[in-house]
Amino acid sequence: MTDALILGLSSGSACLATCGMVMFPYLMSGSSGVRRITIDLSVFLITRLIAYFILATLAWYFGQAFFSDPLIRNIVPGILYIVFAVMLVWYSIDKSRNPVCPAKIAKTVNNRRLVPVFLGIVNSFGFCPALFIILTKSATQGTIVQSYLAFLAFFIGSSLWFLPLPLAGKIRKREAIMTIGLLATGLAGIIFMIKGLTNLIGGIING
Amino acid sequence: MKKLKIIAGLVWAFLCLVLIIILFPGLTGFSASLSKAPFMKIHPRYSGGEVEKQIISEGCTLDVREPVFKGLNSDRKNGFVQLDWRGTVPDEIRDTVDYNLDGTPDFYVLVDTKTQKTEIKPFNSKVKNVGISTPTSYGWAVRINLTK
Amino acid sequence: MDNVLKNPGMKKSLGKSLLYTLPMFLITFMFMTGGRPDFSNPSSSLAILIAFMLVNVLYFLMHYTGKTDKYRVVLFIIFALTLSFTLIKNMVAVRNSMSFSQADILECKIPFCHLVIPMMILPAAFSKSIIFPGSILNGFANISSMVVLWSVATLVLGRGFCSWGCFYGGWDDGFSRMRKKPLVKNINEIWKWMPFAVLLMVALTAALSLVPTYCAWICPFKAVTEFEQVTSVESATKAGIFFSLFAGLVVVLPVMTKKRTQCSYLCPLGAVNSISNKITPFTIKIDKNACNECYKCVEVCPMFALSKENIKDGKVSIFCSKCGKCVDACSKNAIHYGIKGIPAGTMKNFSRNLFLFVSFLFMAIFSAGSIISTLQSLIKLIL
Repeated sequence: MTDALILGLSSGSACLATCGMVMFPYLMSGSSGVRRITIDLSVFLITRLIAYFILATLAWYFGQAFFSDPLIRNIVPGILYIVFAVMLVWYSIDKSRNPVCPAKIAKTVNNRRLVPVFLGIVNSFGFCPALFIILTKSATQGTIVQSYLAFLAFFIGSSLWFLPLPLAGKIRKREAIMTIGLLATGLAGIIFMIKGLTNLIGGIING
Repeated sequence: MKKLKIIAGLVWAFLCLVLIIILFPGLTGFSASLSKAPFMKIHPRYSGGEVEKQIISEGCTLDVREPVFKGLNSDRKNGFVQLDWRGTVPDEIRDTVDYNLDGTPDFYVLVDTKTQKTEIKPFNSKVKNVGISTPTSYGWAVRINLTK
Repeated sequence: MDNVLKNPGMKKSLGKSLLYTLPMFLITFMFMTGGRPDFSNPSSSLAILIAFMLVNVLYFLMHYTGKTDKYRVVLFIIFALTLSFTLIKNMVAVRNSMSFSQADILECKIPFCHLVIPMMILPAAFSKSIIFPGSILNGFANISSMVVLWSVATLVLGRGFCSWGCFYGGWDDGFSRMRKKPLVKNINEIWKWMPFAVLLMVALTAALSLVPTYCAWICPFKAVTEFEQVTSVESATKAGIFFSLFAGLVVVLPVMTKKRTQCSYLCPLGAVNSISNKITPFTIKIDKNACNECYKCVEVCPMFALSKENIKDGKVSIFCSKCGKCVDACSKNAIHYGIKGIPAGTMKNFSRNLFLFVSFLFMAIFSAGSIISTLQSLIKLIL
């Protein structure tokens, strides 16, 4: 689960770079102190976790249905890893990428208490290259527990970036940290590209 | 405040001068002190682990090391046990090894030192396969992959 | 060599220069001869004499001409070349090849290099052990002494370690000086943060896999030191990666851009040293009263430490390796070595003299071993 954790840790920064600064005002709006912020953030993260477990379940069943053949099990995910990894690298360095987070849609939610839930759902299902990679990994796991563990590792890695969100205003050099995070995302993409190539070559040799 | 900053800067700069001057003559002493720090030991994944048992035979000693499962802060599912033959290594090494010291043999290892071909016959389901088998400056070393 | 402008403000008279060189003369003499010169071995004595003269003449010239980088880089490049020569010669003598085998790893015989340090911190903290197959205290480049050397050097010099201490930096510094003008000028500023991203990734992957991943997979300098024997697809892939990175980041890009691209775009230790730039007392200062904003310093800086915004703010970024190229390039003596706490534009000579002594002394002693060893080999070859 090391690669899932690394993917979460590196891509969580890109997620935060696009969504964090939009989400934070919604999380903070109407708040009355540290307790409220902590509750909102916890609800947001729990919603993300539940959404990820749903995705892990769906991905694993999809994998069981379509990746039952050992040859396809290596080659197709190998190709998918490479494609999504290239997307991840491009995602991290593309200047023209639209940085607007789908979380802006939270403006339409009337009930203040539902905002963190809504943000958690939107953030989890905001399909980005990192999520595609973890879905691919999940689909290739031997058991559903392994699929859950992969998503859990990814969740833990990516969530660490959201934890300092309440202090965001106080952190200097925010831009530098975001740049480093985005570049790290690109490097994670390269790691998965190598993993994809290894799977692909292994599949071709064994096939 | 301005004077204080200047003095502090100068003091720190001169301290650095002293540090550099004493660094090289004191290197042996500083290194020896650092080597006593609790974290200054090689991870068993690289060192092979502590020697658990020695079997002495004619001209050759077999060191059976502790199985290594150590991870970052807890044990991992997969590990290995390292065997070192020291001294005059025969052309063919044949040994039955009990790595967990429970009195029952866990695997039989056969090494052809001329062709470097190494085979094992596991008697224990936790013994998996040969990881590394290589001549060394002291004789021969083999790592057998295990599961916990 | 670069055509840098004269810096008349830092020049000293012959007598003064000799006086400033005297402490260096005495200390390097003590270190190179052990305090007891032994003339029984002619090749060894000649090698020591040449090395001794080299370092002291360079130091003297730094004071006499007022130029820093021009002479620093000579010793820096020689250090890099002689270290590689010495390492490769020893490896070929012992193993008959530049590659190390599984036996060398099992016996923990791999010489330690300071580039491993960022990757060993997390595992050392959690598992209380070092994830490197080296020797803790015995032998050449053992872990303890290399950690002590780097720790003190980075505390004192900060990122100055990258221009005065690192025995690899001379490679890309040297290649960056091959052309008079760069072929590629406008490089996106975002890439200067890459070493921090590399640091994050290698620290994480090393902690999780218990393998020093930068060394195992990436380090370009394996091309000029030692590398894992190619016996599998994985080891062949690793060899392909580091040879490509050496060719690209150490040779081609520095030639094309006149920048130290490996140090600025990849090295994770450079990122750590940049952070320690915050605690070292020595720095580069900009005297805004003397500066005429010609931005020659920005043009020559090999580490992306200067920009027009920096100059206007009177600040140098954390990427500065204190190489002295900007100082040599400035015709107004506006950019200069300084000590934190002392205002810019004041105590310029004093700050430079103190910094030069500290940094050059470190480089001279650190490099002496490999220079003397290489000279001995060359002398034996000739005589």
